[in-house]
Amino acid sequence: MKRTFDTGNAAITEGAILAGCRLFSGYPITPATEIAENMSRRLPQVGGFYLQAEDENAALHICNGGSIGGLKAMTATSGPGFILFADPFGWAVSSEIPVVIVNSQRVGPVSGITGAPGQGEFYFSRYLTHGGNYETIVLAPNSVQEAFCLTVRAFYLAERFRTPVTVLADQMVTDGWETLIIPETDEEFRGMGLESVPRRIHPGPEFYPASDAIDIPPVVLGHNTGAACSDWTPTDRGHDTEDVTWQHKHAWRLIHKIRNHRELIDESETWFLEDDPEIILVAYGTPSRVVQSAVRAARKEGLKVGGIRPISLWPFQDALFSRKASYLTVELNWDGQLVREVQRAAAPGSSVHFWGRCGELPSVRELLAAVRRLKEGKALERDGWRTEAW
Amino acid sequence: MNGMAGVLRRGEMRDVMEKYVRPEKNPGTACSGCGLRLAHRKVLEAIDELGLGLGDVVWGTGIGCSGRQTFVTWKGDTFAGTHGRVYAMATGLRLALPPEKRLILTVGDGDAFTIGFLHLLNCARRNVDMTVVVFDNLGYQSTGGQYGVTTPLGSRTDSSPYGAWEPNWTQGGFDVLRILKEAGATFLARHTVLQGHEPVESLKRAIRNRGLSLVQLIYPCVTHYGAQALGTRDLAKIYDWFRDRTVESIDADSSDSFTTGIFHDAVGSRPEFAASMREFVASVQKEGNHG
Repeated sequence: MKRTFDTGNAAITEGAILAGCRLFSGYPITPATEIAENMSRRLPQVGGFYLQAEDENAALHICNGGSIGGLKAMTATSGPGFILFADPFGWAVSSEIPVVIVNSQRVGPVSGITGAPGQGEFYFSRYLTHGGNYETIVLAPNSVQEAFCLTVRAFYLAERFRTPVTVLADQMVTDGWETLIIPETDEEFRGMGLESVPRRIHPGPEFYPASDAIDIPPVVLGHNTGAACSDWTPTDRGHDTEDVTWQHKHAWRLIHKIRNHRELIDESETWFLEDDPEIILVAYGTPSRVVQSAVRAARKEGLKVGGIRPISLWPFQDALFSRKASYLTVELNWDGQLVREVQRAAAPGSSVHFWGRCGELPSVRELLAAVRRLKEGKALERDGWRTEAW
Repeated sequence: MNGMAGVLRRGEMRDVMEKYVRPEKNPGTACSGCGLRLAHRKVLEAIDELGLGLGDVVWGTGIGCSGRQTFVTWKGDTFAGTHGRVYAMATGLRLALPPEKRLILTVGDGDAFTIGFLHLLNCARRNVDMTVVVFDNLGYQSTGGQYGVTTPLGSRTDSSPYGAWEPNWTQGGFDVLRILKEAGATFLARHTVLQGHEPVESLKRAIRNRGLSLVQLIYPCVTHYGAQALGTRDLAKIYDWFRDRTVESIDADSSDSFTTGIFHDAVGSRPEFAASMREFVASVQKEGNHG
């Protein structure tokens, strides 16, 4: 084991390289620039390619191109670059090509504040392209070490599911400095619960079967398999068609290869859920660190409080919210995003509330105050906002 | 010369089609009388005359008439990109492919010169080894006929009902190929598909180039450009208009003509991008950890 003190950006870089990433293409953007910088230094050392693209749209297209040539590839960005992924993300989803995307969320919309954390892309990461008819995988780290582990995991899932996987971090995770442990042998790698699969090559020329099967090798060009790779509606030969029957089969595969293998994706952390919580705080990413402290502090006060941290965000883990309770989501946005999904998933009879802020974290004291108001049946207020309306 | 006789050598067409094109995709999606099949065939002829087989070429396509006509026609390895971004995809793919594989992209004028031009310029800057064949039908025809940056000024289209007046990149002293030359492309040529073998010779030179090659192949659209801008769907009249407008000189005045020939031949003059990348990576590895 190599024990270091480093940033989330460095952790993501090292995780990617250990997972076999050999192509990174990106465009400088705060707060994800250091991932590109680290990649430009590290990739050539391991025989990989760093390619600075003309924009983020090109960056992910370059990654897609590398991936259909057989390279494991990754790009990293923040909100204003993330919006430019709609086109190549959709291509990779529909062509069923593995690729890894990192988004270090900052304050938006648009340029917003560059060097402060936000959580405005909860839904956008789910619906990053147009047209629907797909499911996607999004993982959300809340520490430097987890940023490392989830980057490795993202590559693993991308290969097995033949799909893009998004690591949805935030500025504090990627810029923050913490202890980082990096395995140095395969045994240590496995010992940390990490997994990796090499790129395999689809035998072609038939396209993927109309099934929810995973572990089918993705199309790789250049091996004379007669493989066809495209975002058009495929038949079993990979050809484009305007036939809705084939489109239905394609959509079913895109959705259910992921939904029917939830056990490989679902991951969460919970606090005091088995101790009869009346109020349950919910957060992902950096705010979950404050939530964890707030839940413990509340318990010390004798308040029946629990906590839920989804680590895999999408597909959304409805089962985490099967308990009837008063849920309070804590998010780095003012409009309320996670709260809407919790409201949908929460057990009947639950009440669902929202505590939001953007660009800075809540304090434990503020969250405890919110918990007490909820317990007293009082409306929640936030800085300058008269109600918690969302 | 009778233009029709010059282009429709059906026996030959069937040969290269049978050799390289997936049977279920032949004759393809183009309208009756469309010049796309001729354009498609020119590329196949060039591949054939170079002695290249299915395993030697990876074929990519864009969107629009050209994309739909050529997408997954190649019997070998093939892919379809998003509109205008296939150049970026091909850049990533080029890094992954063995250097000897020829990478050919068949795209339209909208794909290459408008929505994708930023990416194309950057491919030229890097001199990435690929051959971009622009099947130029003088505008956006697959969407029903709107003007583009190669549409002759004054053309009536569905989005220029009073005649196209916006400056384009082919007249008024502009030439889109000059922009690409300045950006670093190493082989550039323009022809019409009604010209006999010259386009094939240029395509052969383009495909052999280990760098960014682009061949602009202007072809007649009967259904939209013919009907809207030329006022006829009569194949002979449309082909006559094309022939009358074609000048077999690349340096001629382009205000009322398609200037044709090799625009820029700098094959071998610049390092190729993927090769340079591999050399760079090898040098970092050789010199050890710079970390």
